[in-house]
Amino acid sequence: MNDDYIHIVLADDDEDDRLLFTEAFDELKITTKVNTYNDGVYLMDYLNGEDAIMPNVLFLDLNMPRKSGMECLKEIKANDKFKDMAIAIYSTSASEEDIENTFVQGANIYIKKPDNFKKLKKALSEVVTLNWQYHTNGLNKDNFLLRL
Amino acid sequence: MQLKAIYKAPWFVKSIFVVCFFIIFFVAGVTYKSINDLSESSDLVEHKYEVVIELEQMFSYLKDVETGQRGFIITQDSIYLKPYFSGRENINNSFAELKELTRHNPEQQIFLKELNVLIDDRLANFEESQRFILKRYNDIESPSFSPIFREGKQLMDDIREKIKSMIALENKRLEARQRDHKDNLKVTPMFLYLVLLLSLLLMVGAYYKIMFDLEKLKKTNLKLEIFKESANQSEIVSKHGNWIWNIEEDIYSYSDNLYRLLGEEPQSFKATTDNLMKFVHPDDVEKLRGQIEKMMEEKNLPFIYYRIIQKNGNIKHFKAYGKTLVNNDGGRRLLGTTTDITDEIESFKALEERNLELERNNKELSAFNHVASHDLQEPLRKIQTFLSRLEDKEEENLSESGLVYMSRIKNAATRMRSLIDDLLQFSRTNKADKVFEVTNINLLLEAAKQDLAEVISEEKALITEETFPVINVIPFQIQQLFVNLIGNSLKYRAKHRIPEINIGYEQVLAENEPTIANAKQEAYHKITFKDNGIGFDNEYAERIFILFSRLHNKDEYSGTGIGLSICKKIVENHEGHIHACGAPNIGATFTVYLPVV
Repeated sequence: MNDDYIHIVLADDDEDDRLLFTEAFDELKITTKVNTYNDGVYLMDYLNGEDAIMPNVLFLDLNMPRKSGMECLKEIKANDKFKDMAIAIYSTSASEEDIENTFVQGANIYIKKPDNFKKLKKALSEVVTLNWQYHTNGLNKDNFLLRL
Repeated sequence: MQLKAIYKAPWFVKSIFVVCFFIIFFVAGVTYKSINDLSESSDLVEHKYEVVIELEQMFSYLKDVETGQRGFIITQDSIYLKPYFSGRENINNSFAELKELTRHNPEQQIFLKELNVLIDDRLANFEESQRFILKRYNDIESPSFSPIFREGKQLMDDIREKIKSMIALENKRLEARQRDHKDNLKVTPMFLYLVLLLSLLLMVGAYYKIMFDLEKLKKTNLKLEIFKESANQSEIVSKHGNWIWNIEEDIYSYSDNLYRLLGEEPQSFKATTDNLMKFVHPDDVEKLRGQIEKMMEEKNLPFIYYRIIQKNGNIKHFKAYGKTLVNNDGGRRLLGTTTDITDEIESFKALEERNLELERNNKELSAFNHVASHDLQEPLRKIQTFLSRLEDKEEENLSESGLVYMSRIKNAATRMRSLIDDLLQFSRTNKADKVFEVTNINLLLEAAKQDLAEVISEEKALITEETFPVINVIPFQIQQLFVNLIGNSLKYRAKHRIPEINIGYEQVLAENEPTIANAKQEAYHKITFKDNGIGFDNEYAERIFILFSRLHNKDEYSGTGIGLSICKKIVENHEGHIHACGAPNIGATFTVYLPVV
């Protein structure tokens, strides 16, 4: 772990979303290191690699080919190695079903991809600066979905 | 009650007849005996008179002899002697007759012997006196004739006495008999009369009882006839038939309609298992035979389903049920009903097909939902995000008209976003899988206000509300309803007024509310949303709930025409009612009625 910057990882199959995501962090005045992966398989390969640096926050898209965000979430939660990692779901839809399932599987927060770059920046900055300890202790279904 | 029960019992009539039979039998016996006694008495009377007449006869013969002799003495004419000679023989005959008549009477026999001696003596006396008479005229004067003649008179007197006592004896016998039977004869007719009267009464009673029963039987028969006819009718209407199977004798009887169900004329063939099997669908024969076997063993059975083929080739579905009844004498009978359920099965099939179709439609709809929610939103979101990027980074590089175009694109994208969101919400507002919960409505309203917090604070809107009770609702839908109605009021606020929304509550009776006077339930929760917005003309009060219908140009107000349709759908999911009423530039009031359960 490096205290100088916040290590952020995103797994999303959509190129545009990855671009917007990195651009948003570039514009934020927070020292971050952002890595992106094109789908769940690439992500898990990285995380399971021997010299992998554990991200502080992992952003997971749900709808991905080969291995979905939900499958990744299950795998990560089953492995003790990742227990300190905060997981944010980062998805286009915010259907009741998806929110419920990811909450039950142990994700920490749910972000519906905003339709405005300003909102995106605001959301990402909020998530990254969140006091996870505090948030996780008081976590319930109502504050699970990030409201902007 | 007990008396009536006895009166009603079938053995009542039987016992009356048994009693009557014995009474008549007894009366016949008594009558026979009485008549027998009477005829014996009359025999006795006749016998007495015969004896008396015979005695008188004999005495008269004796007197003839005496008269003849005396005539001869006076006239000396031999013609007077004729009775004297025939008299002897006549007396002997009479005597023999008397002997015969009195042969059962020893007392009379003794008398008769004594009489015999006296008569013999008298006859001897005649002989002796005759000797004097025949000596012609001088001998009568002889002194020895006179004592003989006097002796003759003496004997005659003795005989008379004897005869008298014999008659007296006969009389005595008759009197004794009459004394013996006098009581009997007096009592018998009265007794017979009373007994006959009694049996007549019993017969009348029995007659009335029989007539009464007969009348009752007639009435019951009539009722039974009517019942049978109505049973026949109900069989035809409900397409079922009855059958009785006498298991021991293997005899069936089918009701008329059962034949009709088989497509045959009533009672047109003999009801047997084999004849029935001729109609049964070949695939069902084995099954049905098995179940018939079972019927004989078990008391109560499950329903039996089988198909039959009518002569005209129509296939019908039958459902049968039977129940075993055991007689007093142990004979078993199966009472059954068979129903033609072809229509039911066909409509069930049609329903099933419809259901499948509906299911398919639903699947397509949810697929569409997915496409709308995910796939359509994604490109739109990107358009919007990149637009905002463009706005932020490249605004200064665009010409004036370029900026106008960009703002137009932005508006169109925003509109598309709200259309997709509203449509999704509308399609999600289904009742099927939503659960009713007893919910604190105040909390739902608070959550709805929370959802709209941004707009409310932006517009500085004043929302006042009354306190609500707990109501059985689909919580998130009611919250949506509140969001949409409050949002609607905020959207159509008047330009120069601070929006005020008053949310009221009261419990009402349907009959007191003109708009829901014909509602199903009696009592309703009435929730009103009253605002001071731009309002609307009341002629559109119905139209605003129709999907995609709008009262304003989309440039003025950003509505999609879906929000109020969602409200209506939610209220209908709760079997409630929603009404709007407005006044242009003054405000609008939305009234929601939810049933009190």
